[in-house]
Amino acid sequence: MENVLVLKDYKTVPDIVHEYSPTLKFGHIPLVIDNGSYQCRVGWSINDEPNLIFKNLIARPRKDRCKKDAEPPATPPIQIGNDIVNIEAVRFQLKTQFDKNVVTHFEAQEQVFDYIFSHLGIDNEGSVPHPICMTEAFVTPNYCRQLMSELLFEGYGVPGVSYGVDSLFSMYKNDIGDSALIINCGYHTIHIIPVIRGQVIVDHARRINLGGSEMIYYLHKLLQLKYPVHVNAITMSRVEEILQEHSSIALNYQDEIRKWANPDYYEANVKRIQLPYVQAASSTGLTAEQQKERKKEMARRLLEINARKREERLAEDEEQLNQLLSIKDMIEDGDTDEFNEAIKGFDIKSYEDLQRQITNLNMRIDKNKQRIAAAATAEENLETRPTGRMNPPTEPEAFQVWLNDTRTKYRELVARREARRARRAAMVKRRTAAAAERMRVISRLAAAGDDFGNQDSDWDAYKSISREADSDSEADGERLLELEEALREYEPPPANSSQHHQLHLAIEPLRAPELMFQPSMMGNLEAGLAETMDYVFKHFSPEDQLLLANNVFLTGGCSQFPGLKERLERELLEMRPFQSTHKVVMAKNPCLDAWYGARDFAGSNDFENCCISKEEYYEMGAEYLKEHYVSNKYYKSPAPIVDNTLAPAVDANVVKEEIVVDC
Amino acid sequence: MTGDSEKTYCFKSENKFIVKSGCKKRMWRSLKQILTAERALPWHNEAVLYYSINAPPSFRPNKKYSDISGLPAPYIDRHSKLFYSNVEEFATVRSLPMDITAGYLLLRGANTMVG
Repeated sequence: MENVLVLKDYKTVPDIVHEYSPTLKFGHIPLVIDNGSYQCRVGWSINDEPNLIFKNLIARPRKDRCKKDAEPPATPPIQIGNDIVNIEAVRFQLKTQFDKNVVTHFEAQEQVFDYIFSHLGIDNEGSVPHPICMTEAFVTPNYCRQLMSELLFEGYGVPGVSYGVDSLFSMYKNDIGDSALIINCGYHTIHIIPVIRGQVIVDHARRINLGGSEMIYYLHKLLQLKYPVHVNAITMSRVEEILQEHSSIALNYQDEIRKWANPDYYEANVKRIQLPYVQAASSTGLTAEQQKERKKEMARRLLEINARKREERLAEDEEQLNQLLSIKDMIEDGDTDEFNEAIKGFDIKSYEDLQRQITNLNMRIDKNKQRIAAAATAEENLETRPTGRMNPPTEPEAFQVWLNDTRTKYRELVARREARRARRAAMVKRRTAAAAERMRVISRLAAAGDDFGNQDSDWDAYKSISREADSDSEADGERLLELEEALREYEPPPANSSQHHQLHLAIEPLRAPELMFQPSMMGNLEAGLAETMDYVFKHFSPEDQLLLANNVFLTGGCSQFPGLKERLERELLEMRPFQSTHKVVMAKNPCLDAWYGARDFAGSNDFENCCISKEEYYEMGAEYLKEHYVSNKYYKSPAPIVDNTLAPAVDANVVKEEIVVDC
Repeated sequence: MTGDSEKTYCFKSENKFIVKSGCKKRMWRSLKQILTAERALPWHNEAVLYYSINAPPSFRPNKKYSDISGLPAPYIDRHSKLFYSNVEEFATVRSLPMDITAGYLLLRGANTMVG
């Protein structure tokens, strides 16, 4: 019960501007960029660790249009990567240069490059004088590479660039030999890439279009649907944290989830996640007893004030009466002049007026005296005021029993009401059991003899066939209200409101990563990881299959789920021939090995030869890719078909020209 | 002059793709558009393209899981089309408001009538 997990809500720290030392500036040092769709890692090839690691995200806050016209609209600065301290605040303004795992939005990419180069402190005038070693998606479309090269060569004037595939970098970094089946679990995709004797077998590689982002989305939606009350507290970044820190892959999903059907297992294994919450103002540490005491105190003080006021008024009135009486004495003594003088001060016109005022005052004094007496007796009776019809016993145990009793009564009533409603609803419809029963009762009533009504219970038959609410339900309704009120009054306030802000995770932490193996769970028709692996194996000779199966290499951020390795071993055991061997190797650092591999590559002697130089860029075309052992294959884009009948709808300009010629 | 978005860096002579705010934005093709364009070209037979390494469709029968709990679900509620695994869940399913059931169906990709 006690192990409630608390969300850490990680905050990023804005990147510093790194020092651009002379060694870097004049040393022609290659810059290594692992441009992933989740994170971008950047560093110099002579460094041990990347200088910058940030999420490939851009937040462009919207302009404030409501500001006064006088001052120019202050555009808040765009935030990139680690500048975004609280990602949830700008969730709806987030942009990325990626579409799936491929860079398509190059304006955003240029902003990211600006961020990278400026944070590395590059201060060279007019160009970035460093060759770039960059990762790109497996089989990147030429169009995208073309724009990337355009940006780097023409926008930044880099001397050269070399593109490599992240998972191949990671594989060579881990030094696992030259044949392997790479399984790269990324943020948007899972790649299965066979490499045999150093050759990437591109045509048998496969990509599952599902990755970490889909799992986050799935878990996010799942939890929001499970806890509609906490929709706003369940944020993407919290779900990401849950996925990264509390999720795992089941060895045998079917067996694992079946265990959860057992309530004891559930109770013992459920993960409770505490959402942040604000303590309700009412429960400020005062017990119900203390609150009652305070209320009583206030009432007593009010009574005292009232009593004092009454006494004051009584004294006032009595004094006035005395004065009036003395004036009256004057006139009885025959002292008319003095009397006339005196009544001027009192705003009295005549003797009759005086008489009336005196009687009025007398009555007021009497009334006040009565009130004071009444208040005094009421104060004594205050303690014994009856508290309505619900009178719970005071001693705690009996009170608990009473409370439970009331609760059960309440629940019974609610259930009865529901049942009645359901029956009435069914009665209205034809061909239901309830409607048939009603017809039966009606026909029996019609056939009833003279002795109908001899017993009171006979009349209940009418209740059972009535389609409207009957007296029973009215009585029940009243009773229900009464119980509700009593429960509201006496039910102890929820002891710990933190429990209302907890997420209970049962199958969910297994369910989201399981998407890898069963994309069908979120309506994706593609085969899962195991099935696709099986599919890839089938394209190879048995010898090569064995070669691959004995070196299944796991890399990428999403391969860090606990249990993934074991699960893959089990799946391999299932799909591979009986008694054949297999082995799964994890990357040492699934997230960063691609960068390390690229760094080693950029630091090697033949990096220069693997770079596309500026001259080559201009000569071979922007999409040109120089192939090397960790790169994609380069297929030169063929010229589009410029045939009238077969004109592809892609290149609208070409088609238009053709039409002009036809005319 | 009006904020960071138009700040120039010394290592750059001019912006390549970034446009000034207020100017007409260049429309970037989505990956889908790029792929359709790529597909339309007369490629060599051995060329491997982005779309050609898509995973095959699944041939194994889909397992059914309860939408609300994730347990194996042998039953389907005809009314809301949600999967459920036992009696208690059925009661829950029946008491769910429309938007929640729609959310679950959308999550499973079963919100459309066809397929």
